[in-house]
Parts: sequence; structure tokens; C-alpha cells
Amino acid sequence: MEQGNIFINQGISEIPDRKMAIIAESLYLLNLLILPGIAFLALVWLFIKYDNVSTRISGCHLRQTFSASIWVGLLLVLVTWVMLSTMNHDSPYTWMIVIPYFVICHSVLVLLGIMGLAKALAGKKFHYPIIGPSS
Amino acid sequence: MLYPSQAVAKPYFITAIALFAVQVLFGLIIGIQYVMINIPFITFATAKLIHTNLLIIWLLFGFMGAAYYIIPEESEQELYNSKLAVLLFWVFLALTIITTLGYLLLPYATFAKITGNQFFPTMGREYLEQPTIIKLGLFAVLCGFSYNIAMTILHGRKTMINLLLLVGIVGSTIVFVFAFYNPSNLVLAKYYRWWLLHFWLEGTWELIMEAILAYIIFKITGDRAIVEKWLYIIVAVTLTTSVLGIGHHYYWIGVPEYWQWVGTIFSVFELLPFFFMVLFVFNVVNCTKCQYSNNAVKLWALSTPIMAFLGAGVLGFLHTLAPVNYYSHGTQITSAHAHLAFYSTYVMIVLTMVSYAMPILRDHKVINHGISQKLEILAFWLMTVSMSLMALFIAIAGIMQIYVQRATEIALPFIEIQNSMVVMFWLREIGGVVFFIGVIIYITNFFMVKKKYGTR
Repeated sequence: MEQGNIFINQGISEIPDRKMAIIAESLYLLNLLILPGIAFLALVWLFIKYDNVSTRISGCHLRQTFSASIWVGLLLVLVTWVMLSTMNHDSPYTWMIVIPYFVICHSVLVLLGIMGLAKALAGKKFHYPIIGPSS
Repeated sequence: MLYPSQAVAKPYFITAIALFAVQVLFGLIIGIQYVMINIPFITFATAKLIHTNLLIIWLLFGFMGAAYYIIPEESEQELYNSKLAVLLFWVFLALTIITTLGYLLLPYATFAKITGNQFFPTMGREYLEQPTIIKLGLFAVLCGFSYNIAMTILHGRKTMINLLLLVGIVGSTIVFVFAFYNPSNLVLAKYYRWWLLHFWLEGTWELIMEAILAYIIFKITGDRAIVEKWLYIIVAVTLTTSVLGIGHHYYWIGVPEYWQWVGTIFSVFELLPFFFMVLFVFNVVNCTKCQYSNNAVKLWALSTPIMAFLGAGVLGFLHTLAPVNYYSHGTQITSAHAHLAFYSTYVMIVLTMVSYAMPILRDHKVINHGISQKLEILAFWLMTVSMSLMALFIAIAGIMQIYVQRATEIALPFIEIQNSMVVMFWLREIGGVVFFIGVIIYITNFFMVKKKYGTR
């Protein structure tokens, strides 16, 4: 179990590295599933507070989930809003595009989050494909 | 193969895969009937009957094969009665052939009459169309199967995996009793029908699926402790959510309104077992050093929970909330969910098991020859991608159907509604053809490779 019980530093000594990674991934999933916005704000707070002091596992998960959550907002809120505001609400074709887009996009983002959480539980790094920062 | 009695599983697997191909073929016939109605020799009703009935039957063959393979190994002893397992196989096969021929060659009403349905009426309900006498035969097969498995476990080692499999098998047998009660009150009849179908598909079968998946993941990773730890969580969540989740089948059948709340709330939580399954599989694989060499099995096993999450979980959730279901009930959305959920949750787990066990049963050691692996992986992608696209096309057709049929003051006439979805029906048929090619490739790899490369 890589870095499983190593403490990050004195400032956040009560949060082990792996636990921080798990919290970050959980907040990403909570933002997508039951606490949209609130969980994202908690993740932002965590990112601002601990990004500079966290070690490589938790730092990786914090950066990945923070970046992915911003993409979540763009893909699920902004793009959907743009589609709904530019397309005709009275046409079935609008809903034939918007609903599948939202469902597929949301499901894929959730699945990525589950895989990230599985990596965090195993104390390993995870890189979100396309929506996660490369470093 | 550790125990010679595991060989009993082989005819079950072969029959399951053969019936799978026939089932898909009838699916193609139905698909073409959606867009070109006049197909000679077979009506839509008959083809649909065979398509849905064979699905249940071949999955049962697959589950039985899986149990006969897994239980001796997990219990560390030979099957309690191998001859009984072989006898039950032939009885089950005979019942399947008689029923299918009856559907094909006789009008349904005639078939009901000559099998004595008037004396003990249980026919005519979707998925439960089999004659009463066939249902009795199937019940006898399930009882014999449960007895054989239970006695094997009773005399051997008890593990989380074999006990869970036993609970799933015995539960399926007990629940099948509801097939014999068909009261004249339609609401009551719906209750009993759903108690069978729901508790099979979202209860006991799900437990069987979880046990098979856990067994395969254990074989891939070799870490029983972590597999069993996850299994406890998944089973607990499955049982707590699926029992009252039955409420989503009660919405519009004439029961009190509170079922809409119960069904909605518990159905939302029915996503959780699939969520945890994905987490379980990837966590276990991440935590262990995987040395397993059968890549096709790894692909099937890792993809099964992902696809189940999408097909059973997400597509189910999409129309499980009562206010949404008010519009989507009985539309193509249901069909989209049914297709992807059955494929991802049950078809994929049976194919995973077949891919794991068949090379061993055929004395190829752990994996088939290289070319066979490639063919199987190709078949996996063809089947999985085409089924996903089929579900997408059907779901899009469903959205159109809801718009012109349900979410409107004046619904269009039936034929116009069907015409509005015809493009999606064609796309679904193309998806079906690709899926069928995948099935053929999957079957081909079992035959051709042995002939060309020998068994070792």
C-alpha cells in the first residue's frame, strides 16, 4: 500500500495522505451525485488549503478532482444550458439530443470518479483522461 | 480442472451459448418486423415470445453451468450427485425444445389448450407464457439443482462465494412458486407476477451475478479476503435496496399512491450495488499484483460492472422516478433499459464465466490459443459497443415516443408514432446485426481454433 499511513505534514497531520486522496475523490463524486455545488465548494476549499502542502498521492488526486470538477461544470451545466437556450423547446429533436448528451456525459464522469476513488483507496495516483491536468 | 465433477458444467455452457445465438436471431426478426411488418412464417408475437423466453432459459443454463463449475472448487469436494446434474440438464433441454417448438408450430391458444392450461391457468403473462406443465418441469429442475448445490456445500467448505451462490439459487427456486398463482383480480395478478420477475432480476439473480463476479475476480487476483470484504458490502446494499425497490413496478397497476414514494426512493438506491461493484472490481485489481494471463476473461470481468452500472443502474434510474415514469412507462425507454441491463448484468457475467471455464473444461489449461483470445476480444467489443448503441437508439426513440404520445394534449395515432421512430428502429436493427456477428465470432472461436491448432 503506497504511502498509506504517511502523514502529509505537521499542518494537516491528522489527515493521512491516502485519506486526503479519498476525500478529494469522494467530494468529486458527491458533487456529481447528491450535493452539486456544495461538494464542489468543499473541494475548492480543500484544494486551496492543501494543494501546496500535500504529498504526491493526495496532491495528484486534489489537482485531478479539482480540474475534473471544473470540467463537470462546463460539460454538464454550461453546454447543456447553451443547448437548451439555442434550441427550440417545442421540438422533440431538442430533447432527443439534450437528454442522451446529459445522461451519457454524466455517467462517464461518474465512472471516472469511481475509478479515481478505487485508485485513491489503493493509495495510487489517478489521471482523469482528457479532463485531468497532465502533471 | 481440480474436480472431475466440474465437467458437468460443459454441456450447460454449450447449450447456453447455442440458445443465446437463437435468441439473438429472433431479436433480429422482431427488429425487422418493426420496420417491415410482413415477414412470412412467423408473427411478431411468436418471435417476441421466443426472444424473451429463451433469454431467461439460456441465462438459467449459464447460471447452472457456473454453479456446477464453481461449487466443487469452493466447497473443496466433488459435486454431491453428478448424475442428477446430467439428468436435470437433459430434462431442462427437453422442456426448452418442447416449449419453443410449441410456440413456433402451434397457435398460442391451441398450445394452451393441449397442455391443459384450462385446468390450472398460469399462461399468458409476459415472460411467464410457458404452459403450466412446463413450469412444473422447470420448478422440478430448479429444486433438483438447488438440492444438489446445497448438499455439496453442506458436506464441504463454506465460503462467502458459495454461500451467496446458494442463497441466490435457493431464492430463485422459492420465488418461482409465484409463477403458479394467477388470480383473476388483475392487480393481484400483477403483484405475484412482479414478485417473481422483480425478485429474480433485481434480487436473487443479482446475488448469483455478484457471486460469479467475486469468484472470477478472486481467480484473477488471488486475494480472497479483500473480495469477501467487498462482497459483504455489495450484498447488504443489494438486499436492502431491492426489496422495497419493487415499488417501481407498482406505480400504475392500481395500488395505493404511497407506493410511488416507496418505489421512487428505494429505486434510486438500487444504483448503489452497481456503484460498489465498479469500485470493488477496480479496487481489488489495483490492490493486488495481477498475474492472470487470460486477457479475454479480464476484459469481460472488468467491463461487466461498468456496463451493469450504465445499463441496469443509469438507464434504470432514468425512468424509475414516479413523476418521470408517469410519462415513460411502457415506452421504448423501458426497452432500452431492458436490453442493456440484461446484457450488462446477466449476459456478460455468463459469458465471463464461459470464457473463464471453457478453456479449462476443454483441457486448454488457463487460456485458449492466441488467435482464439483475439477473436474473443473482438467479439466482446462488437457485442458490447453494438448493444450500447442499440440501447442509445432505442432510448432516443423512447424520448420521441414520450413527446408525441405522452407529453402532449392530443397524442398522435399509433402508426404515426411508430413512423416517427422508424429511423431509430433501422439503426437498432443494424446494431442487432453487428451484435449477431459478435455472437457468431464468439462461438466460432470455440470451434475453429481447436481444429486448427490442436488442444495444447
